Amino acid sequence: MRHLVLLYGDETALPPPGSDEFMAQLPGYMAFGELAAGAIVGGDALHLQAGTRTVRLDGGSVSVTNGPFADTVEGLGGFYVLDVPTLDDAIELARHIPTAQRGAIEIRPLIEFFDRSADVVPAAEGETRFLATIHGQAELDGPGDPEWEAMGAAHGQFTDAAGDAVHAGGAVQPSSNATTIRVRDGELSVTDGPCAGVPTLTGGFYVLRGTEDGVADVAAKIPVGDGGIVVLSPILELGG
Amino acid sequence: MAEPRVSGTLVEEVFRAESGRALATIARLVGDLGVAEDAVQEAFIAALRRWPETGVPDKPGAWITTTARNRALDVLRRENRRPDLEESAVREALEATPPILHPVADDQLRLMFTCCHPSLAAEARVALTLRLVGGLRVPEIARALLQGEEAVAKRLQRAKAKIRNAGIPLRVPPPELLAERVPSVLECVYLTFTEGYAATAGDELIRHELCDEAVRLARLLVTLLPDDPGAEALLALLLLQDSRRATRLDADGEVVLLADQDRGAWDHARIEEGLEWLDRAGAHDAMSAGAASYLLQAAIAAEHARAPSWTTTDWPAIVSHYDQLATLTRSPIVLVNRAVAISFADGPAVALPLLDELAGDDRLSGSHLLFLARADVRSRLGHPTEAAELYRAALDLASTEPERALLRRRLAELDVS
Repeated sequence: MRHLVLLYGDETALPPPGSDEFMAQLPGYMAFGELAAGAIVGGDALHLQAGTRTVRLDGGSVSVTNGPFADTVEGLGGFYVLDVPTLDDAIELARHIPTAQRGAIEIRPLIEFFDRSADVVPAAEGETRFLATIHGQAELDGPGDPEWEAMGAAHGQFTDAAGDAVHAGGAVQPSSNATTIRVRDGELSVTDGPCAGVPTLTGGFYVLRGTEDGVADVAAKIPVGDGGIVVLSPILELGG
Repeated sequence: MAEPRVSGTLVEEVFRAESGRALATIARLVGDLGVAEDAVQEAFIAALRRWPETGVPDKPGAWITTTARNRALDVLRRENRRPDLEESAVREALEATPPILHPVADDQLRLMFTCCHPSLAAEARVALTLRLVGGLRVPEIARALLQGEEAVAKRLQRAKAKIRNAGIPLRVPPPELLAERVPSVLECVYLTFTEGYAATAGDELIRHELCDEAVRLARLLVTLLPDDPGAEALLALLLLQDSRRATRLDADGEVVLLADQDRGAWDHARIEEGLEWLDRAGAHDAMSAGAASYLLQAAIAAEHARAPSWTTTDWPAIVSHYDQLATLTRSPIVLVNRAVAISFADGPAVALPLLDELAGDDRLSGSHLLFLARADVRSRLGHPTEAAELYRAALDLASTEPERALLRRRLAELDVS
């Protein structure tokens, strides 16, 4: 079973890339990478809210605004996709992510996940990868629900049409299936539901690639339904 | 045609006793709570049809479990819902089970850990445990927890969906996780009992079906988690508290306080058993704070159980247990009870400032208990006017009818001249 693991940290928790503080935090994440090597099937670090853009569809017209759509103390600092047998295995791994000590980790079971980054043309000069997260849309039950099936088909068409711009993506179970964990003073706390105080992920996510404006155009075509919003967060390229 | 020898009521009784066990075993075999629940349900429908003609089988639990296994197998064969390897493996495993299937007690523990998984909301854990392990039906749970049937049904449905969708395992956690996971199972049983023993709302103060179920589950836990100090201390606590259940209300349903209870009518078998478990729990060299807090509460209940009368109660010992308890838990109710114990050990004048100081604690602002304690102490010190005012404040906050009746009685007894 695959889970999307969302890392919510304080804005100040992830210092500017390249700074001493930033470098000091890397070993913790690298240690997690080794610990969870057999389970990690995807994931990236994000530039915390700096550079984030919000894409809305208002009556057919697209509006793109700079910054996240809600003011929150905690921001999405990164994500992993873990493939593990049970929720317990996901929790046992996720508690070792350094973010768990300061912020919160939300674990969302995935209905579907695909990663075709190995098959697509790599990012060209001037292109960046973005995490596109969907928020604010009415949550559907999942496979078997005709509305969900229709939405799934629309996403399939979007993915096909977007071609190389879509590197990866996934559909999450409704947020009622979410679990949030924190570790304080070595003690694990587990709570039902999505991370409080941040915009809840609904529907799913994509990893998109392109120029800033090009990606916003692609994101505007993501089928989000009424009231849906896409937040684009630039991915921090750590691989070099 | 022969007179039906088996009534629906009898099948209901078997349902209460056996459905949790059968469900736990089938759920382990098929790895799917939904399929297991349907199968057990169908087995009972079959029993309702069959048993009036055949009589109750010798081992009704095995009959139900075997029938449910066969139903589950039918469903898996017919629907072939996930035509994958996993599904055929489940089917093969089911087909390989013996022709007569006995429920396995360990399976119930597995199911309890699933129902009490920390990733489920605390209210959902209690409802789910009562439903799946206790075999209570939705209307019974709704009545016991004083919630709407629809709300309970929805909460159960949501929790079961999460178990399935998020992959909450049906298993006893591995040893390295037990220390983290056992507390939520114990807490669920404890909450079931406290909700039964002192209901938080409604016309009835005691909900017997919840007390009975909690004691049954606590007994199951000491069997299934041998040598667990928390499980032993919890069982001791529940038995000692529960020994007084029958005397807590009089014939008119009015609250009888500990001081006035008929100690001869306490359940002495329960007391004896509770004291034994208390000794066993207390013999462990080390235990978690949670286990120690059950142990101290049990020790307090034991002081009352051992005292031949209210006046011979060892209040200094009770105060010392509360002192220790106060260092373990931040519950303000513990501080109120500690001050009340001090009022009997050292006199109401010593307790008065302690209780008044607690009035500044916001967490107690919605509870009638602090007002009641402050009023009682003033009444004993001969300040009826002040006491009356505080009893009235308590009356505004008390949530069950028997508690309100007690407060009205106290008010009436005050000598306000």
